[in-house]
Amino acid sequence: MNWPDAELDNVRRLRVLASGVSGAVVSERVLPAAFDAVWSRVSDFEGAFGDFEPDMRGVRLSKVDGERLELLARSRFGFRARLHAVHRPGWFWAQSRFLLVAVAAAPEPGGGTRVAVTGGVRVPGRAALVPVGVQRAGRRSLDRLAGMVG
Amino acid sequence: MTDADVPLVRRAQGGDTLAMGALLDALGPYVGRICGAIALSGGPDAAQETLIVVFRKLRTLSEPAALHGWVRAIAVREAVRVARRDQRANPLLTELPARDDPELATDIRDVLARLSPEHRAILVLRDVEGLDEQAAAALLAVPKGTVKSRLHRARDSFRKAWTS
Repeated sequence: MNWPDAELDNVRRLRVLASGVSGAVVSERVLPAAFDAVWSRVSDFEGAFGDFEPDMRGVRLSKVDGERLELLARSRFGFRARLHAVHRPGWFWAQSRFLLVAVAAAPEPGGGTRVAVTGGVRVPGRAALVPVGVQRAGRRSLDRLAGMVG
Repeated sequence: MTDADVPLVRRAQGGDTLAMGALLDALGPYVGRICGAIALSGGPDAAQETLIVVFRKLRTLSEPAALHGWVRAIAVREAVRVARRDQRANPLLTELPARDDPELATDIRDVLARLSPEHRAILVLRDVEGLDEQAAAALLAVPKGTVKSRLHRARDSFRKAWTS
């Protein structure tokens, strides 16, 4: 007998993981664009990604091993970060010692693509972010991404 | 969840968010099976609520090897809660279908939808999770006799769909 199953889409997955990170805020928006159009921008790590993520400048992809990536970036505060990430279609979750950056996307049933972002400056050694400006940063990321795909 | 996953739980508890992601990959399908069977169309909501509770409270789990049973208890509780909420919005039929009801031979989801969330929870715990009546009763906080009678009724109504 096949029991009914429930699947979590990537936006729900991001809500779940962010709930386990103290101080994390999830910003969401439905963008009027197809999933592929949105995700091609998000996954352009050495290009568009650094344009919509305000904390990521000069991103360089230094290692790719299947869905595991390593990225080198410079934050707007000037310090350099080596981020370890997992990347799949609709899912990007990256952490360095001091940064957390995550983006998820899923097709919206009514049309368009729901995008969720979270991240900020990590409290070392804990699943926690410094709770300063995280909501504003999330909204700004979504504003920029919306401008790119709109 | 196996002993090999214990280091992963420890890393997740220690604040490694990539380990938390790997743990979510491991738990998601398991939680989805429990929540889908009990909460039906509310399954994704129930699975999300379950995993939010799990990750918020992960640091309080003192014995990582107990993760599986801990998650199962949260999943059943959240799935029944979401199913009851949905049931208030869309009342279920109060009577179980008769054994010769031709609808029993149709889609399994339709048959499950005719059972109460509590009946579905017992079926999942006994027939998917393999818990005995004592353990199922303890998890659902009902007497063992209640589990027995609900299971009997649910199985009786189900038999035709099961074997068709």
